[in-house]
Amino acid sequence: MAKVHTIIGVKPLGSYRENARIILPQKVEEVYTWEPFIHDETRQEELHNMRISIKRLRYTMEIFRAAYWLPKTGPKEVSLTHDERFAKLLAVIVDLQEILGDIHDCDVVLEVLTDYACQSECETSAQGVATLIDQTKEARKADYKVFLEKWEQLSTTNFKQKLLSFLAS
Amino acid sequence: MTATLEIEKISPENTLEACARQVIVSYFREMMSYKEGAEDGTDIEFVHEMRVTSRRLRAAMDNFADCFPEKPFKKYYKKIKAITRTMGAVRDLDVLIARFQRELVILTEAEQADIRGLIEHLQQEREDARKPMLMLFAELEATDFETKFLEFFNSSHRTAR
Repeated sequence: MAKVHTIIGVKPLGSYRENARIILPQKVEEVYTWEPFIHDETRQEELHNMRISIKRLRYTMEIFRAAYWLPKTGPKEVSLTHDERFAKLLAVIVDLQEILGDIHDCDVVLEVLTDYACQSECETSAQGVATLIDQTKEARKADYKVFLEKWEQLSTTNFKQKLLSFLAS
Repeated sequence: MTATLEIEKISPENTLEACARQVIVSYFREMMSYKEGAEDGTDIEFVHEMRVTSRRLRAAMDNFADCFPEKPFKKYYKKIKAITRTMGAVRDLDVLIARFQRELVILTEAEQADIRGLIEHLQQEREDARKPMLMLFAELEATDFETKFLEFFNSSHRTAR
């Protein structure tokens, strides 16, 4: 698993709000360090590392959610809209984490099935294992396609920039 | 109250140092609330919840490391990492077992026999994976880890680094 990137510039005596704007952009950048590898479906480790970085970003966004609520002096409707925007951005992150999780699950299942097939080959024909290997390979292919389509769509709509702008706001 | 609800009540104008303690303590308390169920092992959701919360706690600790004195902080962080790791070994097997059990319905009887053999093999591995987890729980109790952790993170360390 990839090591967590060290966060720099944290101000312990600064406000929670101020530090959210220091920490979260760094978490976004950590996710994008894995982007160069995602077009190769065989890069299991990098796809897994991207999932872990996305998970760290998700948890950090959840930790700092209160730092993005507008001051109570503003109209209530505006505050709600701002939080709704946060929720929408967070939902995209959760969605990416889940589809990368499905891909990783398939990779783990394939490894377990393949190891088991090698062990049991001498004793039985292990047809059940072979059937599940075929199905899991198909599922992995389909999940990877979905992930790539989602990622491309997010790139087309400039998601990274939108996310960074919001988190800096 | 879950840690998430407590964290949402944080006042964003407070110092990071004060909020960091609040977040870490909330996640830690939630994580420990699943320990008994995880120890029992009947309901696999306890291990899952404890592992997920330990990850959230680690994410918080990664972000807030600068708010605490380095040496004791690292000691606590290492232990939380060990909790995630031992829980992970059990959870990964729970997920695999549940998945293969679900997939039995789409297989022929002969194929099912192969997969049942695999499930039995994984169940044995799960029993083995629970041992380090239970040993770690026993160590946490013997060293009064919970009290010490809460004492440390409930105290102010304004001249941390």
